[in-house]
Amino acid sequence: MAHPSQLGFQDAASPVMEELLHFHDHALMIVFLISTLVLYIIVAMVTTKLTNKFILDSQEIEIIWTLLPAIILILIALPSLRILYLMDEINDPHLTIKAMGHQWYWSYEYTDYEDLGFDSYMVPTQDLTPGQFRLLETDHRMVIPVESPIRVLVSAEDVLHSWAVPSLGVKMDAVPGRLNQTAFITSRPGVFYGQCSEICGANHSFMPIVVEAVPLEHFENWSFIMLQDA
Amino acid sequence: MLRQAAGHMRGLLARRASVAVTSSAVRMASQGHEVSETVDMSRPMYYDRADVPLPDKPYKDLLTDADKSLKQKEKGPWTQLSKEEKIALYRLMFCQTYPEMKQKTSEWKTVLGGIFFFLGFTGLVVWWQRIYVYPPLPKTFEGDSQAMQLKRMLDMRVNPVQGFAAKWDYEKGQWK
Repeated sequence: MAHPSQLGFQDAASPVMEELLHFHDHALMIVFLISTLVLYIIVAMVTTKLTNKFILDSQEIEIIWTLLPAIILILIALPSLRILYLMDEINDPHLTIKAMGHQWYWSYEYTDYEDLGFDSYMVPTQDLTPGQFRLLETDHRMVIPVESPIRVLVSAEDVLHSWAVPSLGVKMDAVPGRLNQTAFITSRPGVFYGQCSEICGANHSFMPIVVEAVPLEHFENWSFIMLQDA
Repeated sequence: MLRQAAGHMRGLLARRASVAVTSSAVRMASQGHEVSETVDMSRPMYYDRADVPLPDKPYKDLLTDADKSLKQKEKGPWTQLSKEEKIALYRLMFCQTYPEMKQKTSEWKTVLGGIFFFLGFTGLVVWWQRIYVYPPLPKTFEGDSQAMQLKRMLDMRVNPVQGFAAKWDYEKGQWK
């Protein structure tokens, strides 16, 4: 989750998010360089007392400021496409979970082996115990085994929603009548928070997502208990 | 009135298009390739500009008899003109001198004052809103609750690589 006064991304909890962080650093550096250059030129133009009203053209600088942006764009595009294809690699997931968006909660279905399904509602502010995070906690978390490839099939039962967990680098729109697939691996155990990312009505801000990555045996215990409770 | 308008129209139509001052050979040499002819069809205007020293026409068009006689005197040797006459001739041709053109105005004070005024006004509006409009903060904003949330974030190892838990020394139990 985000920490106080945070400016940048949350720390990555999946390899894809790590790649995205590094790409963002790369692209942002280029953006800073260009912005600094432009700011310098603006200041130089504004503070000079010299004038020249008779420039008509200049072939040399035109060539430079056409070629250089093209090269910069290629330098941005190549890492970007690399990550794009990385995200689409064949991943052979260990577990498939269906995340269904409703107004205004998520429901998760683990139907690989048994029929496990449950709803995940936000804990209302007045019901929070001390130490819990406002607008982020849910009554049931999506528990997954750590360091295992997980496939999430995202859809919606009524209107558009979007299933997003920033620290895992995952965001997938939940479209009614459509199954969208996304996949990730958690590199470390922990609890990862996200919020619905597509406007879906009055309580769009109050349907968070909580993913809990635990060692496999803990996951097995949890799913056993959840099946019994159902 | 119609006659006046007709006179105007004739005047406009009779105005010849003024061809560019440079010849094509000069333009070729300075630009390195052919440049098309530019035809300036604008009406002559007077302007005071630091970067264009000589306007299209003199400042005073309608000369009094005194001005006309001064202009006649100008055709002779200039050493015979007194200082006041030279200044008068300048003022016939131009409205402002260079120092007058470049004179600083106090416009920036008005602009800055306006900015601060509106910033202050916005501040007042926000202050009023805080008192009369906003609902009370949720109980999670209280000091104890914040402290417990922070402790839980550290226990959960939130952002342990660079962000949050990375800055906490778990052995010593304090911030690094």
